[in-house]
Amino acid sequence: MAQLRWTGLTHPRSGEAWDAFESLRRGVDQLFAGYDVRGSQGVHPFVNLYESADGFVLTAELPGMKLEDIELAVQANRLSIRGERKISYPDDGRTNLHRRERQVGQFRRAVELPVAIDSEKVEASYRNGVLLVKLPKSAAHRARRIEVQAQ
Amino acid sequence: MSNQSMTTHEGSATPELRSREKQAIERETTRGGPVFRADVDIVERADEYLVTADLPGVESADVQVRLEGGVLSIETTRGFAPEPGWTPVYSEYASGSFYREFRLSDQIDVSRISAKMRDGVLELHLPKAEQHRPRRIEVTS
Repeated sequence: MAQLRWTGLTHPRSGEAWDAFESLRRGVDQLFAGYDVRGSQGVHPFVNLYESADGFVLTAELPGMKLEDIELAVQANRLSIRGERKISYPDDGRTNLHRRERQVGQFRRAVELPVAIDSEKVEASYRNGVLLVKLPKSAAHRARRIEVQAQ
Repeated sequence: MSNQSMTTHEGSATPELRSREKQAIERETTRGGPVFRADVDIVERADEYLVTADLPGVESADVQVRLEGGVLSIETTRGFAPEPGWTPVYSEYASGSFYREFRLSDQIDVSRISAKMRDGVLELHLPKAEQHRPRRIEVTS
């Protein structure tokens, strides 16, 4: 995994400018590592990405969703998640909304991985409001264990 | 505690992604790990208050709803945990527990509060005490 590090530089003082620089550096790091995660306007489900033994695991916080409102697509090394979060409170004319923090609306996230995904073997599950997608690497990219034969 | 949540938030690459982040709250606690402020909707109906809280990754058994001294608190003991073999490569959110509290007016019938958890969403029904419900008064001629 390629990583850029500014080890030769010391920052004279920390501050907003430096933070912006830091965030740029992190962005560049990610670019070189081959991960590209795009966001969406409106509802923004949080996404985490892990590397597992045979590929990647993506988790997204999407509490209270109906499964038919989540759409997943995998193509080559790209996973996209789109959907809509709907929350409605029946208004009987005497309903008062005191606080509304839970986000509603459409979302679209796309994740580009450094290697191709075996789209046939992608598994997705939804538990306690967390979407979990298992993305195995396609066979060509998977590490193989090679037995050493005794002569 | 805030340091821990900062390091797990590395990865917010664009301003767009930065616009909304889980809010960690500072609490006096002996437990490790970050505590997050749960997003909450509060709806008042004729006969009850409905409090709905987003608690993604939380099992119903790990939610504690407490009412003490007129303060209703929602607390989770743990949240989603990645499997040991997974290495984080990109991270927008940290997992941890959630906490939220509200001061209730005295017009809640505390004996009939009910709570239900489904798909990471807690639904709390807080029925109004009998004397505070709107009553329809028949006008007789």
